[in-house]
Amino acid sequence: MVAAQVGLVSLMSNGKTGHTRLGTPEMPRDTRSPNGAVVEFENVSKTFHSPKGPVHAVNGLTMALQPGQTIAFLGPNGAGKSTSLNMLLGLSRPDSGRVALFGGTAAEAIKHGMVGAMLQSGGLMSDVTVKEQVELWAKLHPRPIPVIDALKRANIADLADRRVDKLSGGQQQRVQFAMAIIGDSPLIVLDEPTTGMDVENRQAFWATMRERAYEGKTVLFATHYLEEADQFAERVIVINKGRLLADGSSAEIKASAGAKRLSFRLPGVQDAVLHRLPNLVSVERQADIVRLQTSDSDATLYALLDAGYRPAEIEIQALGLEQAFIAITAEDNNHADGTTATLEAAR
Amino acid sequence: MNATLTLTKLDVMRVIRNGRYLIFAIAMPAALYLIIGKQTTTADGVQFKAYYMLAMATYGAFAGALMNNSIRIATERKSGWTRQLRLTPLPGWGYVFAKVVTSLATTVPSVLVVFGIGAFLNHVDMPAWKWVVNALVLWLASMTFVSLAVAIGYRFDPETAQPAVMLVFFPMALLGGLWFPLGGTLEKIGKWFPTYQAHKLGTDIISTGKVSATSIAVVAGWGVLFALLAIVSYRSAKEQ
Repeated sequence: MVAAQVGLVSLMSNGKTGHTRLGTPEMPRDTRSPNGAVVEFENVSKTFHSPKGPVHAVNGLTMALQPGQTIAFLGPNGAGKSTSLNMLLGLSRPDSGRVALFGGTAAEAIKHGMVGAMLQSGGLMSDVTVKEQVELWAKLHPRPIPVIDALKRANIADLADRRVDKLSGGQQQRVQFAMAIIGDSPLIVLDEPTTGMDVENRQAFWATMRERAYEGKTVLFATHYLEEADQFAERVIVINKGRLLADGSSAEIKASAGAKRLSFRLPGVQDAVLHRLPNLVSVERQADIVRLQTSDSDATLYALLDAGYRPAEIEIQALGLEQAFIAITAEDNNHADGTTATLEAAR
Repeated sequence: MNATLTLTKLDVMRVIRNGRYLIFAIAMPAALYLIIGKQTTTADGVQFKAYYMLAMATYGAFAGALMNNSIRIATERKSGWTRQLRLTPLPGWGYVFAKVVTSLATTVPSVLVVFGIGAFLNHVDMPAWKWVVNALVLWLASMTFVSLAVAIGYRFDPETAQPAVMLVFFPMALLGGLWFPLGGTLEKIGKWFPTYQAHKLGTDIISTGKVSATSIAVVAGWGVLFALLAIVSYRSAKEQ
């Protein structure tokens, strides 16, 4: 990956059009090489009409996915993830803008077996066995891998003769997983793929996905498990309120979010004092120990010192992707609404 | 095409495995015919055992065409199965095609089982060609309810599809004289239903070897109406 392509996307949005700028000004847009892209979103918008007024589910989203990448697609609930994935897969149409798969429409790509998709639970038949279900998928795709291979990779070879509708949620997820990989498609799209799986199967799942990525396949997954995105994705795309918020490797996002945990011992300090500190994301107290999450640990600490306090045992720690995610979405909500973001709102 | 046929084959197997279909479309009419069909009276110009054989075969064929598919389509739309299929190279019409063929295939055993009981246990007697024509006529007439199944499946939720089927089908079966022969006002009303006229096609073939244009017009008319409903429901569901 070219270093210039990544990094936190500027949060500036041109208020009138809702257009989000991609990358920093010195980064020419065409470094994303639209021609070689597996998935392209170009200024895509989708609005739903509810009784309370229009909801801009996706608002000027632009992104491009390159072949061979494993990409995590993250966003708080209601950020527009599902709407984006639906448009990507051709299940719904954008109001404006352009969505392309392999340079053409989603329908064409799907018709040629270019996409293996795993939606959230439910997309299974009743009254059929696991083997029959996966065999059907093999027949539907032009270049399937052997059924037994798909079953083994999804760790369900022992369930082959069981009825699909009699399986547990986690087992059904694995059946869907077998269906997503059996077509040997160059693009694999997974919506919350590991929900309901136990730890062991989750490991097996990601091991298989890594193999697919090594084969040059593009794997795009939406997940609630941020540690999975942290561990398995080369690239993380964060959207919020229908716009692209951050795009880069997990490490880059963590770094650019600047989210740090600042902890110290400070007996008798008032809560109100802590809450007045700048750049705060969250506050946690345990007796004399205070743990702050902050988007600028230096500024927060200096403000505390300037206020005349002398904390002891100061520790500053970089945070995981989850905290970075919370920090940047909270900051974005803050910017746009002019109101104080809460952790709840960010999640 | 290969993919569509594979889906169709699997859909047919699922129906056969499903208990509800076996009970409503095969076991129930067969059992009723075994219990009631032995009377030695006549009805509609044929022996009662022939009348009731046609009635139960019509009931089974129509119930088989209607009940299974309507509820399955409604359920599979809700469960995300139809969405999942849209993410495969299966052509857009493949799903409905599979359902229609499945309906047509599942009416066959209903007719064969009841006709078998008629021929071998209740000694219904008619020339071979009449057996064949009667079976074919019933099979073609059941297309009417194949369309209705698609219409209901695309219009209703899984929870409301079943009551909708019952509300439409049971009055039609009753007024059509499929449960017992009707007379008077009820029969006058019943004559307007495809159940009555499809059954009458059968009794006419047995008694005179000829069928009336009215019977064909009524069955075909409902067939066209239900097909139009199916198309409208399918289109509006697709747009959502």
